[in-house]
Amino acid sequence: MTQAMRIEGGMVDRERTLAFSWNGRWMTGYQGDTLASALLANGERLVGRSFKYHRPRGIFSSGSEEPSALVQLRDGAAQEPNTRATTVELFDGLYATSQNHRGPLAFDLMAVNDLLSPFLAAGFYYKTFMWPKAFWERVYEPLIRASAGLGRLSMQPDPDAYDHGFLHCDLLVIGAGPAGLSAALAASRSGLRVILVDEDFVPGGRLSAETHEVGGQAGADWVAEATAELAANGNVRLMTRTTAFGAFDHGIYGAIERRTDHLVDAEDRPRQVLWRIYTRRALLAAGATERSMAFGNNDRPGIMLAGAVRAYVNRFGVAPGRRVAVFTNNDDGLRTADDLSDKGIEITAVVDARQGDVVEDTIGRRGIRAIRLGDGRRIDADCLAVSGGWSPNVHLTCHHRGRPVWNAEVVGFVPGGELPPGMSVAGAANGTMTLAATIREGHGAGAEIAGDLGAGGSPGTPVEAVDESFAAAPFWHVTGLRNRAWVDLQNDVTTKDVRQSHQEGFRSVEHLKRYTTLGMATDQGRTANVLGLALMAEAAGKSIEETGTTIFRPPYTPVAIGAFGGRARGEHFRPHRLTPSHKWAEENGADFVEAGMWLRAQWFKKPGEKGWRDSVDREASQVRKSVGICDVTTLGKIDIQGRDAAEFLNRVYANAFLKLPVGKVRYGLMLREDGICYDDGTTARLSESHFVMTTTTANAVLVFRNLEFARQCLWPDLDVHLISTTDGWAQFAIAGPNSRALLAKVVDDLDLSNDAFPFMACAKCSVFGGTPARLFRISFSGELAYEIAVPARFGDSMIRALMKTGEEFDAVPYGTEALGVLRIEKGHVAGNEITGQTTARMLGLGSMLSSSKDAIGLRLSKRDAMNADDGMRLAGFRPVDRSVILTAGAHFLNPGDPADMAHDQGWMTSVAYSPELGISVGLGFLKRGTERMGETVRAYSPVRDQDVLVEVCSPHHVDPDGVRQRG
Amino acid sequence: MDEITLEAAPVLGGANLEISGNRIVERDDLAIVSIATPLDGQDALAEALRNGWSLDVPDPTRSTLSGEVRAIRTSPDQMLLIFPHATPDAEATVQDRLAGTGYTTDQTDSWIVLEVAGPDTLSAMERVCPLDVPSFEIGGTGRTVMEHMGAMAIRTGDDSFLLLSASSSAVSFLHAVETSYRNVT
Repeated sequence: MTQAMRIEGGMVDRERTLAFSWNGRWMTGYQGDTLASALLANGERLVGRSFKYHRPRGIFSSGSEEPSALVQLRDGAAQEPNTRATTVELFDGLYATSQNHRGPLAFDLMAVNDLLSPFLAAGFYYKTFMWPKAFWERVYEPLIRASAGLGRLSMQPDPDAYDHGFLHCDLLVIGAGPAGLSAALAASRSGLRVILVDEDFVPGGRLSAETHEVGGQAGADWVAEATAELAANGNVRLMTRTTAFGAFDHGIYGAIERRTDHLVDAEDRPRQVLWRIYTRRALLAAGATERSMAFGNNDRPGIMLAGAVRAYVNRFGVAPGRRVAVFTNNDDGLRTADDLSDKGIEITAVVDARQGDVVEDTIGRRGIRAIRLGDGRRIDADCLAVSGGWSPNVHLTCHHRGRPVWNAEVVGFVPGGELPPGMSVAGAANGTMTLAATIREGHGAGAEIAGDLGAGGSPGTPVEAVDESFAAAPFWHVTGLRNRAWVDLQNDVTTKDVRQSHQEGFRSVEHLKRYTTLGMATDQGRTANVLGLALMAEAAGKSIEETGTTIFRPPYTPVAIGAFGGRARGEHFRPHRLTPSHKWAEENGADFVEAGMWLRAQWFKKPGEKGWRDSVDREASQVRKSVGICDVTTLGKIDIQGRDAAEFLNRVYANAFLKLPVGKVRYGLMLREDGICYDDGTTARLSESHFVMTTTTANAVLVFRNLEFARQCLWPDLDVHLISTTDGWAQFAIAGPNSRALLAKVVDDLDLSNDAFPFMACAKCSVFGGTPARLFRISFSGELAYEIAVPARFGDSMIRALMKTGEEFDAVPYGTEALGVLRIEKGHVAGNEITGQTTARMLGLGSMLSSSKDAIGLRLSKRDAMNADDGMRLAGFRPVDRSVILTAGAHFLNPGDPADMAHDQGWMTSVAYSPELGISVGLGFLKRGTERMGETVRAYSPVRDQDVLVEVCSPHHVDPDGVRQRG
Repeated sequence: MDEITLEAAPVLGGANLEISGNRIVERDDLAIVSIATPLDGQDALAEALRNGWSLDVPDPTRSTLSGEVRAIRTSPDQMLLIFPHATPDAEATVQDRLAGTGYTTDQTDSWIVLEVAGPDTLSAMERVCPLDVPSFEIGGTGRTVMEHMGAMAIRTGDDSFLLLSASSSAVSFLHAVETSYRNVT
């Protein structure tokens, strides 16, 4: 194709021809084109179908406000629907297709909807599809879903890479038009660190689209000069293709930078980068958006905003039509006729609503052919340039709930209420609608902010320019129309819909929006909202000011979900923490489970084992029979030192710690302020002023945080210091009757006899001929057991050495599942029991609560309700039918009682198959559980369809007297 | 049975990556010992630091350097001492010189230390580090979170940093830093 509509001039590079595919046809454009300008250059006016009525639609604007020219970009997995052709930078090989039609674009079968439009008015789906009721889910909803929406997702994972990043500046300037550039110049000359962002791929804003002179030269030339100075200043980062989409707390702005969207091959680099920009101050210089007016059939291809027509002519060197008519209510729109005439384009009519002239209707189907005036005259036009005035881009001023206010002079909403802290507004975004005033305001704002922030340099003077005439009069719609007039092109909202909404009682602007969908979707109604509000105000007999406006929230323009995800996908969705024995475990058949960010071996599969139970039963059995080794590095470890460390521990643990002897370990219970248990663990005293606390894996951070709070805020007078050593030590539990014998071959020169190193002893020692270590005689399994720790760098070597040394005892590694089996058999509580809702008495640990001291939570733990004799108590459970496998979560009921909460007796917290006993065993809370040993209750789990009888027993299914662990 | 001796292994196997003229190196030759200031013991500790290593106690967000020994302030009453030391007795060697004027804990194995350097370092840091590191003076430090991992950044030169993070997530941390370089080069 020959780019038949290409004319002279513009900023495109005619030396660089680019080929692109549109609906399967190859066309050409130039470097510097958008997809929209290239399509227009090739005479393509019909580019899509409307949302509801499948009306033919063309290119309406030249920027991110585009409501109509939505296309599917790329193909296959990289396909992106609803892309605005007006913002797509043309590149060689670009592939785009139209969307929202069945059959060819020119012969959309769904265009029948347009004939059915009387039945498809606003809110029709609330009133229809009501009967029969069963049809809703099976028929109506699938039908509506198939018909609704615009583009189509590829339904494949997004193959593109995304990233995120962090930037810092003194001043963020949003918009590189005349105001933004002037502000950035003033601020950077003063010495501020400035970031200047613009959503376009060239700076300049409207200067790129107009024929204004700035500083005695063409606007575009001044833009080039200004950006060159900014680049030379060294303290400015100019980011084109970057949209500041949200103003968040503490001066943080979100921005999306399109890094490789305009490249043929991204070479695996991130397509887009989501920036978090930390600012001291921000200046919104986002300009204004032109809006349309409502008249009959005002949605045909070829009907465009006047400013867009000028942009295509002046910036892109493209004639949107050969015979153009203009319909305006302001002086700005009149400039269109002048600019087009200068380019030799025929102007067939200039219709100025201020003179009482109106366009009543348009003629054409797949594109406008003529207009019909209010006086009945028909005038040929293949393009109608419409200007209904300009709306300041106030969106980001609303992100902290600021509400714009109506300005009658501007005929638009300007920033109002409280702006986000640190934000100022300049230029057209602030309602300053003429060039010289905009430049002065931008420069002044930049200089003022520099002064506020103490920058000492001179901001210089604003560049000279002339204020063009700007006289706008409110004119919203043509009256007495026979045909439909569109308000919101993207959502197919007509003037009739707005009036109907009012008639049906949706009188608030928020209701209007939600009932008609006015202002929703990708363009957020940027060309439609004010028109809709004006119509609503008229229907209500109020002023626009009285009617008010909806406000905006992020994002300003759509942001790909992939960009929010960034690089966090697949295996790198979040970090993983690995224990020092991870590599060895991988080599030895470990199956890993996530515990927070940790990956822990849950069992080690041996050849011939058919399922996890085989592995877990074998591991648990071998621990009870001989010895097993488990990596327990993940338990939180906190180094506690200081003259007052013992006193500190005595205040944070509910049981006594003040007199714990050096060389001893004690089990401790921590309460919240409200007296509820929140963590348990052991703490070892290595010296008078040095303790090592262990916490549960899950609560390691929480406990550390609480301790730090207590240290810094509750008792700053104590000499106590904390630091985490969780990652510093590779720690292994060695459990089983042969654990002592195994350790005797590991530990250097330490008497491990029961007398010399009894249950709950600890010591610094060395292993394997000199490697420093710590040894603790503690048991979670109920067996004779130890935990031994070495510096993490030796962890891999240590597990290999332990397994080698343990060969003569048939030592096995065991994972978290066997660990769980062993502790349930023993009746030790864990996270299933310490849920944040359970008390020490419930857990059978009531006797640990010291009555001779004060500690966090102790006082409130003594409340009557928490100590009632008929409260829940930890108990053990075994199925009456020994072949039954119990399920956790089952509720207990007395036999014969109905299964409802009024008769609830408690619940099963943990279950395991006990290889030691050959039956399934459980732990749980039962009302007066400790008094009901031997009773039979129902364990009822409707979720798992189980209703069995269980016998109440001691929670200590194995070795209830603790002989083994003390042996 | 043969005599067994445990061998120390660097968390990342001694990672040493070159990415378009930039370098990421695992510094497993460095020991890290935390020193906590006893209540009302600031002066004695400061003197011990000066006498032991010719080091001043660093101000918040700063580090001090003497030879190859660096002190980094990590909290109101805590600093880290980082210095070349191969054997697992770093805490004892520090305590020898402090003589009880500070509480010491060996942190060597708790951290992974990556030395990053090269012309794209500041650009790469923008992708992973929320701190305003371009404005750091040399010797400046900050604690932050990188890709959900607690971390510390110390500027050691115009285009070089030491990055510290938890050793258990070292693989993920290296991936985060490496990806940042690859995304900007």
